[in-house]
Amino acid sequence: MTGRRPSSPVSRRTVLRGAAAGAAVLGFPLPLRAQAPVIKIGAVHPVTGPLAEPGQACRLGATMAVEAVNAAGGIKAMGGAKLELIVGDTQTKPDVGRTEAERVINQGAQILMGSFDSGSTAAMVPVAQQRRVPFLVDIAAADPITANVAKAVKEGQQKVQYVYRNFPTGSSFGARAVRYFTEIFAESGVAPKRVVLMYCNDLFGQNAAKGFQAGYAAAKPAWEIVDVIPWPEPPQDLSTEVSRAKAARPDIIAPITRPASAQLLLPELRKQRVEVMGIVGPGSPGLYEAGQLAVLKDDLEYVMSAVPWANFKNPRTQKVAEDYFKRSGGKTFDTNSGYSYDGIFVIADALERAKSADADTVADAIKKTHYTAGLMQYAGPVIFNELGDNPNAVTTMIQILGQKPVAVWPKEAAVQKLVFPRPKR
Amino acid sequence: MTVPRVAALVVVLALAALPAVLSSYAVTVFIFIFFYAYLGQAWNLVGGYAGQLSAGHAAFVGLGAYTAAMLSMTLGLTPWVGMFVGGALAAALGALIAYLGFRFGLRGFYFVLLTVAFAEIGRIVALNTDAVGGALGLYITFTGNPRQFQFQDNRAYYYVALVMMLAATALVAALERRRFGEYLKAIREDENACEALGVDTFRYKLLAMVLSSFLTGVGGTFYAYYLFSLQPNAVFGIPLSVEIMIRPIVGGAGTALGPVLGSFILSPLGELSRVYLSQGAWSGLHLIVYGVLLIVVVLFFPQGAYPTLLKLGGSMSRSSPKPPHRI
Amino acid sequence: MDLTLVGQGLLSGVLFGGVYSLMAVGLTLIFGVMRVVNFAHGDMMVWGMYLAWMLATRAGIDPYVGFPVCAAVLFTLGWAVQRGLVHRIVDAPHEMQILLMLGVALVLENAALVAFGPDPQRVRSPLTASTLWLGPLFVDVGRLVTFGVALALTGALWVFLGHTDLGRRIRAASDNPYGALVIGTDVGRVYAIAFGIGAACVGAAGALVSPILPFQPAGGLSLSVASFNIVIIGGMGSLLGAFVGGLLVSVAESLGAVFLAPSMKELVSFSLLIVILLLRPAGLFGRRAA
Repeated sequence: MTGRRPSSPVSRRTVLRGAAAGAAVLGFPLPLRAQAPVIKIGAVHPVTGPLAEPGQACRLGATMAVEAVNAAGGIKAMGGAKLELIVGDTQTKPDVGRTEAERVINQGAQILMGSFDSGSTAAMVPVAQQRRVPFLVDIAAADPITANVAKAVKEGQQKVQYVYRNFPTGSSFGARAVRYFTEIFAESGVAPKRVVLMYCNDLFGQNAAKGFQAGYAAAKPAWEIVDVIPWPEPPQDLSTEVSRAKAARPDIIAPITRPASAQLLLPELRKQRVEVMGIVGPGSPGLYEAGQLAVLKDDLEYVMSAVPWANFKNPRTQKVAEDYFKRSGGKTFDTNSGYSYDGIFVIADALERAKSADADTVADAIKKTHYTAGLMQYAGPVIFNELGDNPNAVTTMIQILGQKPVAVWPKEAAVQKLVFPRPKR
Repeated sequence: MTVPRVAALVVVLALAALPAVLSSYAVTVFIFIFFYAYLGQAWNLVGGYAGQLSAGHAAFVGLGAYTAAMLSMTLGLTPWVGMFVGGALAAALGALIAYLGFRFGLRGFYFVLLTVAFAEIGRIVALNTDAVGGALGLYITFTGNPRQFQFQDNRAYYYVALVMMLAATALVAALERRRFGEYLKAIREDENACEALGVDTFRYKLLAMVLSSFLTGVGGTFYAYYLFSLQPNAVFGIPLSVEIMIRPIVGGAGTALGPVLGSFILSPLGELSRVYLSQGAWSGLHLIVYGVLLIVVVLFFPQGAYPTLLKLGGSMSRSSPKPPHRI
Repeated sequence: MDLTLVGQGLLSGVLFGGVYSLMAVGLTLIFGVMRVVNFAHGDMMVWGMYLAWMLATRAGIDPYVGFPVCAAVLFTLGWAVQRGLVHRIVDAPHEMQILLMLGVALVLENAALVAFGPDPQRVRSPLTASTLWLGPLFVDVGRLVTFGVALALTGALWVFLGHTDLGRRIRAASDNPYGALVIGTDVGRVYAIAFGIGAACVGAAGALVSPILPFQPAGGLSLSVASFNIVIIGGMGSLLGAFVGGLLVSVAESLGAVFLAPSMKELVSFSLLIVILLLRPAGLFGRRAA
């Protein structure tokens, strides 16, 4: 049954941690445990609130990665030091995000990871810079999050950049999606002309839509965006929006959705008999998750979306995905869980090279990262540019075939052949 | 009267000395206690004393925050000045809402809805205006430069927030003793009687709203320069309006110490319940606790914590309001 | 301007108006009788939706058949909330009442989160998959049915309030609680029943709407706000107002989506709300506020 989450009983550990937190709040330092060194990573995600679903996925991905690193012997360059995860919940609120970042640092976190939504992530950036704690953004798309820090360092207002991001930036989503559109049409030997862009008017949707339109303006492809139809998220009714789309006589519908709006949009497209060559999304949630497939079934078949995706040609990915499926109660190992998983490994790799947990050394090590063992689909090794972003973090075009999301483009990432145009019903 | 004064002084001195012994995390918790107490105190003027409930005060936070941030980002105007420009714009919006509401005789729930409508419109406009970043919002570069109303040390924010809260409370306490405060309280108790007696209720309610919205707008700048990003849903949204209203109501609406007490009760409670109860399968349990607490307070301490404490203390304070009898 | 599009917008707007009306009827009843603003309205509706979902997935009962069960469960909830909580603060200032229902809303929303998880759900019903075509215009069968039920329900409530003994006592208690007391009405019991009926309407609305709207625990707030909009425009306390208000708001939003950017359609309903508040706060069909 979808919607079940892993259980986490209140354990002695939780109580101990609670007591430690209580003492720590008052500012009394606790004696460190006299065991093998432990490196604490604060993983802060929106596990409650409107983004609870991806937030919990991130937390589980990070948890599994920490277990994997420890099982393989921990950080060997630091005497087998184990990683320990201190988790936080931003509730998707920036003020809570900031407080949680401070709290996990207070409990000993030497590195931060998080936090999915750009508002909370932006609120955590000053904490990282103020407290000098390296902060790896595993997921968050707003370009300014890292760009602002790079600018401050360049202008001398801040000494060191502590914030890095291993995720495609909002602007890169769009340009790549436009490229994929053109390539897919060429590969299939058809020439659709009219594309209707439909998107959810929230932070993610608006940003992705703008990126797509900017990429389109720059690339000047043979196809044309003939109408742009945003809707308020979450929507209660999309019948008029779909009528408008239909009136534009589209060859392709390009939707940017969230799970709730996808559940409204796709059946509506079918009901109003909007005949198109295909539904190709520039990249959004809602079009591939197990929960969505369970609800939408056939309406999702042949739908494509350009999302950050795991590299399933890597056998390690398969194994982790199976584990994740079991532990999450039947969910797909996707963008959220995947990038959090890789994030921990990138941090571990940096620690191996830094050989210490000193903030500046670790930040420097992160900057010099050249990591090739990531589970996500990258266009090269994980590296960080002058803004602190990973230019090789890219999206992959996936398609729902046989009620399963599979990578279909670019060719080197494809596990199955893409089906386009979609067969007539 | 001097005993409370000495007590107040001791408390203020203690608060001023705390950052020396607290962890940065605890300092952050206090910063939010002070900040939300400040916003609640601003709300208290119109919602508590004048009795005109507003559930849309986030609109003023949003307007003030976006104004100061935009002025800084496009004109390089320091937020120390920008905050007053933001406050002035927020006051203008407050005047508009108050004028429309009171001139057209909206009271009680109808006025509440008017404020909500304006806040929602503000949110939708900000969401759809590319010039202010649309849904993505504005992102402020962290430089730690005090001239840009930013500080490298968290403790500096603590003192700023503390001063804001104390200043607002002192202002409200002073107004409470003057004729302005008495008029507001009278209007809250029975507006019709006031009008019958020839009091210009419209003027006083308008003034209360303008002052309230100005202060709230100034607070918006603090929000922007402590959290470094502004999104329409967060900064104009109903959840923020609720956070603003809750503290004075729980602490004692219409009393000078109510919002402060309310903030000292609710913020740590929210913090504790999130830290201890938000694990895995129980995500959301802490908000259930929050909700139950609200219900308990409303049922058993309807005047708010402060007047209840006073009653328990046995002293009769003239700032303790009687609930008006409503039919 | 594409006439077909406008026509479709109108038609879709009217049909979806049935959904809105159903949402608003329960709210207007509670306010009309008790002057209580049910801020937990949207969250109660979400529970109605989840109950329908449980019936559909565990017992295979279609929501169009099972909605009375949801209504009954919500009736009990509403009755309990009134009897146990609201009853005690009936004389307290307004802000207390608002806070109380906010607390109830928080509890309901997060109980749903703990019980069902955060993912959006939808109920599949064979009716919602079909459409009727009138020339170039299409009619969504699911919404048509909901429209019909909304009409029937409003009519049934009308009859109940106007022509049954209990209904008359409810109206008496709402018009003049003291007078009603004097003539021997157990006002407390009447209020509890009225709240229960209001909640039952909301429960039925949730169930009937569950195949049409995807729902999740966090969705209660926007449903509450939308319902308040409708009820104010239509007139607090007026059944006809809730019905017409629902149609009006839905058509206005739909036409707004046709002519403006659809993401601004809420702007239309909020602007309409402000206009009504200023010019005629009692709403289109409400009685003049006391």
